[in-house]
Amino acid sequence: MKIKGYSYVTSIALISIIPFLWVVMLSLKTNEEIINSPLALPAKLVFEGYGNALEIAPLGQYLINSVIIAVISTALNVLISSMAAYATTRFDFKLRKPIVVIMSISLLLPITALIMPVYSIVRFLDLYDTKTALILVYTALDLPMSFFILRAFFLTIPKELEEAAYIDGASFMQSYRRVILPLTSPGMITAGILHFIFCWNEFLYALSLTASHNARTVPLALNYFTSQFAFDYNAMFSAVIMMIFPSVLLFIIFQEKIIEGLTAGAVKG
Amino acid sequence: MKKNTLWLYLFTAPLIIFFVVFLLAPVIIVFCSSFMEWKGFSGEISFIGFDNYIAAMKDAEFIVSFKHTIIWIVLQSTVHVAIGVSFAIIISRKFKGWKVLRTAFMIPNMISASALGFIFLMIFNGQIGLVNSVLHKLHLDQFVRNWLFDPNTAFVTVTLTWLLFAGLIMLLVLTEIGTIPSSLYEAADLDGASQWQKDLFVTLPQLRNVIGTCMIIAATSKLKEFELIYLTTKGGPGTETMSLPLYLYNTSIVQNNFGYSNMIGTVLIALGLVLIYIINKVFKIASDE
Repeated sequence: MKIKGYSYVTSIALISIIPFLWVVMLSLKTNEEIINSPLALPAKLVFEGYGNALEIAPLGQYLINSVIIAVISTALNVLISSMAAYATTRFDFKLRKPIVVIMSISLLLPITALIMPVYSIVRFLDLYDTKTALILVYTALDLPMSFFILRAFFLTIPKELEEAAYIDGASFMQSYRRVILPLTSPGMITAGILHFIFCWNEFLYALSLTASHNARTVPLALNYFTSQFAFDYNAMFSAVIMMIFPSVLLFIIFQEKIIEGLTAGAVKG
Repeated sequence: MKKNTLWLYLFTAPLIIFFVVFLLAPVIIVFCSSFMEWKGFSGEISFIGFDNYIAAMKDAEFIVSFKHTIIWIVLQSTVHVAIGVSFAIIISRKFKGWKVLRTAFMIPNMISASALGFIFLMIFNGQIGLVNSVLHKLHLDQFVRNWLFDPNTAFVTVTLTWLLFAGLIMLLVLTEIGTIPSSLYEAADLDGASQWQKDLFVTLPQLRNVIGTCMIIAATSKLKEFELIYLTTKGGPGTETMSLPLYLYNTSIVQNNFGYSNMIGTVLIALGLVLIYIINKVFKIASDE
């Protein structure tokens, strides 16, 4: 029984990572090797694919765009959700309950269904094919998730700390900046990492809201490869590795934080 | 703390503005324009009542997309959830190496679905694909095929790109298992229960709520599934792997038939609400707010 259980989880874990190991291996083989002996280990490690990938597709530009969009959107998203989480966990006011209810409904909204109106709103705001469009849209679409991660975190912090600050004559803003922000920074980091990964990975909205190299993000580079350079496998596989590397690295480094955040955000919904 | 009221509205205003512009307004547009004929941005908009819905019932591509989406929702909320739950129960014994297994299982959930789609496109590739290479090696050449583009295997193959990867479900269940009081297991030990009896009769009943939550997450995730299909089969061959989100993309961004595509959007949102309602009823999930 025990052995069966272990071999079951081990085989599922293997199925989960073999595709990635295989892609890493292929990114280090020449195109001839990939076609003639796809299973064999590389005869000699070839790193050319990585350089070629950067030359063939505007991957460098896309990487820069992705970083800019993900960084700004993460700052915006975390700040906005932190402020709202502070107001709705610490104080009782008219909008408290409606905000919490609406956010929990939005958490499970199939966002794919909103693609056309978001597209037309972006056009209406004259933001089509800009980084700003993706920054704003990503910030908004992921607000419910970040909001609940931060709320869960705020609820674990004792109220007495701010009450002490208030007694000392601190204003609303001061107690938020001096007491709450430092105390909740671990929660903000968790929400921020998850939002960063969300921006880094998002595909459909990037595909629909951008058209030129100035605004396109990394996931779209793959589309570029499959449609235009379908035969340079080695470069293609190298591009995939460069693209997934940041998310995998972030996940491995911040695993505990990410797990904590995913659990807090998902269970609330 | 009355003087804080202004601050409270200021602190929630950004969230509300973003919500209204990019979530609420779109939902309203989706719903209202599903009753309109609206082709292209410069095209005229006219009210046509339920015509888009009636047209959908006669549209073979809509019907097949709807059918596939339902099949995928059912598979995801049963098979996918079961894999995640069983994985979590087994590694909750925290034997040596459980953390490595947990990380490995999570990886497909952390990378972009578009990269995953591309990787599977290559794994099932007819020429250089991993699956066919292994079959050749094992001299099982009669099974070699172009998995994603053969009408006989396309649907199953696309399903395999997500069905097994239940890392998120596993995490949620694993966290919940950690909160089960150990006294329950001690009582079971006293009664001489075996490990699998404890899993089945102690752990599983305690997981009812979280399994319900997981089923909702799994089911609703298929209402937005786009990348994994778009980057592998694009819904083909023919309409073998077409789904509602993909059909919605084709009718809106590609064909600019906005009224019709927003009818599909309304169907997706309504399906989501129905699913959440049914699963909540079945599992009697206690609300915590």
